[in-house]
Amino acid sequence: MSNSQSTPDWLNKLEEQSRISQQAFIDNISTRLRRPRMTEAPDHPYRGTPALWSEFEWDAQQRIDKFTTHFQEVGGHVVRLQTMEQAAGFIADHAVQMNARYLIRQQQPELAELRLEERLPDVQISSWNSDPDEAWKARAAEADIGVVMADGAAAYTGTVMVTSTPHQGRSVSLLPTVCIVILPVDRLYTRLGELLIPMDEIGREHLPAGMHFISGPSRSSDIENDLTIGVHGPGIIYTLLVG
Amino acid sequence: MKVSLFITCLSDAIYPRVGEAMVRLLAAHGVQLDFPPVQTCCGQPSYNSGYWEETRTAAKTILKAFESSDFVVSPSGSCTYMVHHYPELFKDDPYWLKLAHELEAKTYEFTQFLVQVLGITDVGAHFPYKVTYHPSCHGSRLLGVKEEPIALLSQVRGLELVPLPFAEDCCGFGGTFAVKMSDISGAMVEEKVDHIKETEAQVLVGLDMACLMNIAGNLRHRGEQVRVMHLAELLYEGVGVS
Amino acid sequence: MNPAQSTQGTVKERAGVALNNDFLRNAVKFTTERLRSGKQAASAEHGNWEEWRERGRQIRLHTIAHLDYYLNLFVDNARKNGVHVHFAPDTAAATDIVMTIARNKQAESVVKSKSMVSEELHINRALELAGIETIESDLGEYIIQLAGEGPSHIVIPAIHKNRYQIAELLSEDAGEELPPDTTILAGYVRRKLREKFLGADIGMTGCNFAIAETGSMVLFENEGNARMVTTLPKTQITLMGMERIIPSWEDLEVMATLLPRSATGQRLTMYMSGITGPKRTADGDGPEEMHIIIVDNGRSEQLGDPEFQELLNCIRCGACLNVCPVYRHIGGHSYGGTYSGPIGAVLTPALNRNVAEWDDIANASSLCGACSEACPVKIPLHDMLVYLRRRKVERGHGNRWEALGMKGFAVLMANSKRLNLALKMGRIAQKPVVHNKGITLKIGPLKGWNTYRVTSPMADHSFRENWQELSEDTRRTAPPMNAETRDRMEQILRQRRASGIQGGHHE
Repeated sequence: MSNSQSTPDWLNKLEEQSRISQQAFIDNISTRLRRPRMTEAPDHPYRGTPALWSEFEWDAQQRIDKFTTHFQEVGGHVVRLQTMEQAAGFIADHAVQMNARYLIRQQQPELAELRLEERLPDVQISSWNSDPDEAWKARAAEADIGVVMADGAAAYTGTVMVTSTPHQGRSVSLLPTVCIVILPVDRLYTRLGELLIPMDEIGREHLPAGMHFISGPSRSSDIENDLTIGVHGPGIIYTLLVG
Repeated sequence: MKVSLFITCLSDAIYPRVGEAMVRLLAAHGVQLDFPPVQTCCGQPSYNSGYWEETRTAAKTILKAFESSDFVVSPSGSCTYMVHHYPELFKDDPYWLKLAHELEAKTYEFTQFLVQVLGITDVGAHFPYKVTYHPSCHGSRLLGVKEEPIALLSQVRGLELVPLPFAEDCCGFGGTFAVKMSDISGAMVEEKVDHIKETEAQVLVGLDMACLMNIAGNLRHRGEQVRVMHLAELLYEGVGVS
Repeated sequence: MNPAQSTQGTVKERAGVALNNDFLRNAVKFTTERLRSGKQAASAEHGNWEEWRERGRQIRLHTIAHLDYYLNLFVDNARKNGVHVHFAPDTAAATDIVMTIARNKQAESVVKSKSMVSEELHINRALELAGIETIESDLGEYIIQLAGEGPSHIVIPAIHKNRYQIAELLSEDAGEELPPDTTILAGYVRRKLREKFLGADIGMTGCNFAIAETGSMVLFENEGNARMVTTLPKTQITLMGMERIIPSWEDLEVMATLLPRSATGQRLTMYMSGITGPKRTADGDGPEEMHIIIVDNGRSEQLGDPEFQELLNCIRCGACLNVCPVYRHIGGHSYGGTYSGPIGAVLTPALNRNVAEWDDIANASSLCGACSEACPVKIPLHDMLVYLRRRKVERGHGNRWEALGMKGFAVLMANSKRLNLALKMGRIAQKPVVHNKGITLKIGPLKGWNTYRVTSPMADHSFRENWQELSEDTRRTAPPMNAETRDRMEQILRQRRASGIQGGHHE
């Protein structure tokens, strides 16, 4: 940890042990592989997908169609909208329909601009991590609806990506009963790799702590292989494809 | 051109009619088979059980038997595939390793030989029955014989080929497995026969007498009337009829 | 689970029990059939599956061949991300680290997401002994935890239980009668575990992949419980097999294509999470403290072993279980270890370094090769089973009678005259037991075989005895080879010689 003063003794001790074991642990691997320890990056001729795959691309309409089909096939909902205004309207209508009492959204300018507070005067709406004294996980857990912006999406697998920041909680897309993801169409790509490869390019120090790729509602087939929706995460998930 | 028959133990001792069908069928296409009488077993039982030293003894007999052959043809995908293990067995012995590579390159399973080497898919057979085909694991999965038998069967006049559900599932033979793990093996062959019954086929055809012996044994045990044949027998009988 | 309970007896004995349990067989058969047809459809939909498998294999081979470099890189990067990384050469060391953390956190409860490594280490038992409530949160894992059992499938741990058995277990847990309705049962677990997630001190996870270049860990799941475990408790402990590494996110695209499609036939699991260090200081959720324990526990023994190193390529998809006819009939518990099916039959003896004690596990296979064909990273599992059998023999742990039999086999097969004589003797010996062209006798080695079959007797004349006559007959009657056929065959011979293979009659 960067701040060693706040690190308790037991952790420092574990850290010390770890550094000692690391040497032996990694050396053992080299010995087993019957060669000296490798310290330079080896040539990796097979990095990533087969060659032609990276050229595969659907046009904008195909991406929308495929994303919709794939997300819906596994039980998610997709709504095609033109403007953020329409998205706000959809969320408000949905909240009224389900008699929502609590709604939580990420603390993002695009979501603030939806003015959900004005549209839903009877719903208690909170903006993630906007007050340092609030118990935010509990707020998310009691929420009927969580509203998040997607950072990206892949049509091929029907996947939206959300990332964590101080203003974007992991809990908002996880704990509420219903999750609503707003996906601007210009963030919709063809392949999953188009979301993953930028992570290599951004580099370790700039990665968010949590990156979540969501492809539909929470589900399980653990009882007699009978599909059950909404086991731990949201059982209802909407992607609002906007633009 | 020396084309030798690798008869395999089961076809030699229990099912000589399979060897005879192959010999007569190939002769009709101008291929006179040679039969080196010194041949014994490919060594699969000991290889699969982990007794590789004993396997080398059997393998050397086979390697010597076919040393002078240009082509070797066998009625079993499994025994044919066993030959592909020989280089591994003799990797430290240059003399036998050379023979092993040669044998590997020149050994063909029966349908491979007909289709790939002779270029024949239509032998002119007529066989007016409902037939289902069991692809044996070693032949289809390991040796890669998948299309050849289907190509041959689809040319047989009057034959109705019905797909076998879960055809790719093992019949449960597995050599010594059937003895050592007899109850598991029994459950597997029962399941295979259930699937065969579902097809309502009159004839079950295959390319490996070990698997067919296993399945036929269970069919008979259950009093089922399905006839079990090696593809060579079916084709030969079909040629005789037409 | 009580490991002693499941490892008693032999595979054969445990299989015997399973084979008499019709429910278990039907349940396993039903689900594995669905999973394997799902996989077939998903791999066909994706297309070029063989090319992707090969790519997956190459990435895994490359990573394992340079594991010292990549693991060290991962550790350095994870540390830079603020993760406390620990090394556990064996179960005792891993348990010790977990307990040290739990003690210092004064933990009263741990919620877990699915981790096969934690099953391998029996970590729940250690935590429970220390009085720490340990809760499996994957629905299937929760069910088998209530039943006091281990997982019987890598991906579907409660594959062997039906809804009535599950309703009974959950009713006891709830203290009220729950109907055998999957939605109601899952709803109960959702409510019950929601409280546990929110109240737990430690979240414990496994790790599907660890990305060396950024020090990130990746989890694949469908329920959202792994997300809960990595979002809500203040402390996260991740148990990771040392071989879980891949170099980059770019490589993850290949694994994310192969793993879900092979495991469940999904394009992607509902959740795939990449976690890079504990929560950032200003984040509102995520663990404040994150530990990754890198576990060896027999894995490094496979390195440098030309026959078994590829075992470390395994991505734990369970595809080999779903196609295995033996697994289908005997279920996972018959294998007697944490890992079942073909991968378990090889991995268990390999990790335990005790080939002899697991002697019959490698025998529970017909060597049909379905596992190797299904494996998304092309591990030759059926070959490995033969290698295990061979090592057992070489180390002198073979069955004495079998060894004698194989010696006899070699003597016969060295010389066709001896073989012929033996066959003739066999023909005489079988005479009294052949009735109506079949043998039904149930003694000796024929006992098991003939319980399910009628044996075909040896023919009156062997092929080789008929050969002379047959040969003369065909020579008399058959036409000569036509020119076209001869040309084809000679062309093949030329090609063969051009590829460096000598030998044959023409040389």
